[in-house]
Amino acid sequence: MKFNFNLTNFFLNLLVLFAAIIIIFPIFWIFLMSLKSSAQVMEWPPVFIFEPTLDNYKVLFDMSVAGSSNYGTIRINFFEPILNSVIISGGAVIVSLIIGIPAGYILARSSFKFKEDIGFFILGFRFAPLILVIIPMFYLFTILGIKDTYFGMIWVYQVITLPMIIWLTRVYVEDIPIELEEAAFVEGASVLLVISKIILPLLRPGLVGASLLVFLIAWHNFALGLLLASKKAPVTVALLKLLNPGINFYPVMACGLVISMIVPILLIFLGQKHFVKGLTFGAVK
Amino acid sequence: MNQSKENSLKNFLILPSVLVLLCFLFVFFYGVYLSFTDLKLGKPTVNFSGFKNYIYLWKNPLFWKSTKLTIYFTLVSVVTQAFIGVLLAKLFSTKVFCAKIFRPIILLPLVLPPMSVALMWTTMMNPERGVLNYFLSLIGIEPFMWISQYSTAMLSVIFIDVWTYTPFFTLIIYAGLLGVNQEIKEAAQEAGAGAWITFWKIELPFMMPYVLIAAVFRIIESFNQFDIFIGTTGGGPAKATTVYSIYGYIQSFQNLNFGRGTAILFVNWWLVLIGALITIKLYQMARKRVS
Repeated sequence: MKFNFNLTNFFLNLLVLFAAIIIIFPIFWIFLMSLKSSAQVMEWPPVFIFEPTLDNYKVLFDMSVAGSSNYGTIRINFFEPILNSVIISGGAVIVSLIIGIPAGYILARSSFKFKEDIGFFILGFRFAPLILVIIPMFYLFTILGIKDTYFGMIWVYQVITLPMIIWLTRVYVEDIPIELEEAAFVEGASVLLVISKIILPLLRPGLVGASLLVFLIAWHNFALGLLLASKKAPVTVALLKLLNPGINFYPVMACGLVISMIVPILLIFLGQKHFVKGLTFGAVK
Repeated sequence: MNQSKENSLKNFLILPSVLVLLCFLFVFFYGVYLSFTDLKLGKPTVNFSGFKNYIYLWKNPLFWKSTKLTIYFTLVSVVTQAFIGVLLAKLFSTKVFCAKIFRPIILLPLVLPPMSVALMWTTMMNPERGVLNYFLSLIGIEPFMWISQYSTAMLSVIFIDVWTYTPFFTLIIYAGLLGVNQEIKEAAQEAGAGAWITFWKIELPFMMPYVLIAAVFRIIESFNQFDIFIGTTGGGPAKATTVYSIYGYIQSFQNLNFGRGTAILFVNWWLVLIGALITIKLYQMARKRVS
């Protein structure tokens, strides 16, 4: 084998490596930080090699070390916000799937008056000014008494999840050849039967990917939980509270960050293919 | 007969979704209505006050400062992201070894919650113990105040935004690059065009629609960016990063003046709309050019 040293290639490799380091380093650094003691975080210059500890994770999940640690009386139970995030994001995706798949199917297949207008209206929610919606929502939630409830949160999360599910369903259905359905309709099958027996099985791989992506976008959300929930607040809101105690509390916050980041990273490994399509509402395939 | 029954059933299927979304549309218009009232939390009556909130904003220097900051933040971050995004897409589409193995990590920053990203950088930008200042000290640069100082706060937040969302451009442009017609490219090269000419005359025009469609999404989200500001500066220091979303939030939930808060955010909504429409127009022009 001939070793072919090419200067351009060498430079390109170097540049790519540099870009990759810039992307990976912050995440790696936070992971290291989550394994440091609070004294090690205060050290200067920052330490790269140290004896890792899992104590911060124990503090984060309040496994009765909070009192005995250097963090004094701060007590946190991070299980709660994680559970909240899972219930709210998961619930929102499930509700969106149930009401959104039929709507997406209709938008893709049937033609009726105002169809494109309705489609555009749904797409417009991608551009919704969330905070402007939250202020009246805050007022309405107080009146209706659904502030800080899973019901209220899952409902309000529809503003993020539902348009995405409808639109992605539409894009995926349009990729399916129509002949199968036409044959079924000729045989006298109803719309619901066609959706459940023909469309859903064909859509499944796409929809699983889309659901993962939409779950991830819901998981990202911070503003809705900040203002409309307190005990039922999601992970992102709980994280912000960990910033307040200051530098010596950074390692515990880093643990929270690691957990909040691991979930989407795992999801994306499962549904990578659908990522670009989903993020751009199918504008780029 | 059967046909029309089928059709009404079909329309019924789209109804639940439309109803849910109409609720949000109603809430949106209710928010717009609130911007014309003097609603304050704790004040017993709500009165229609016409354009009073808007006139108050018009006369308020902080509003104009916030306007400048919002536009500055959006323009600088989106343009920087587009520029680096093109470079990265080109870089990662080369056939070199590292590009192949590192390609999947491009999307990493994009999948992390923006709040987590903000807090991550907040710890690294700490003026006394942050690792960024350590790296600067290695190459002999004085400690930097990053998000803790008036003059550098906005640029630091833009830096974080660029780190987070450049991959969005890269991913979309990369998808576009795969579609560049290889034959045209080879024909141009055979005709004697150098790598630069091929890039400027062929690849870039092909890329442009993709750059602009990504820009539409980024412009909308940058105008509405809230999480990264809250997780880093919270609008400070000394209002150096009080963009519209933060300004409206502070007016509403700290001063409890919902009327003014919604007015600010309604103005922001118009900016979003104008910015998006201009970019969509550019997109349509760019597409016409290549087809």
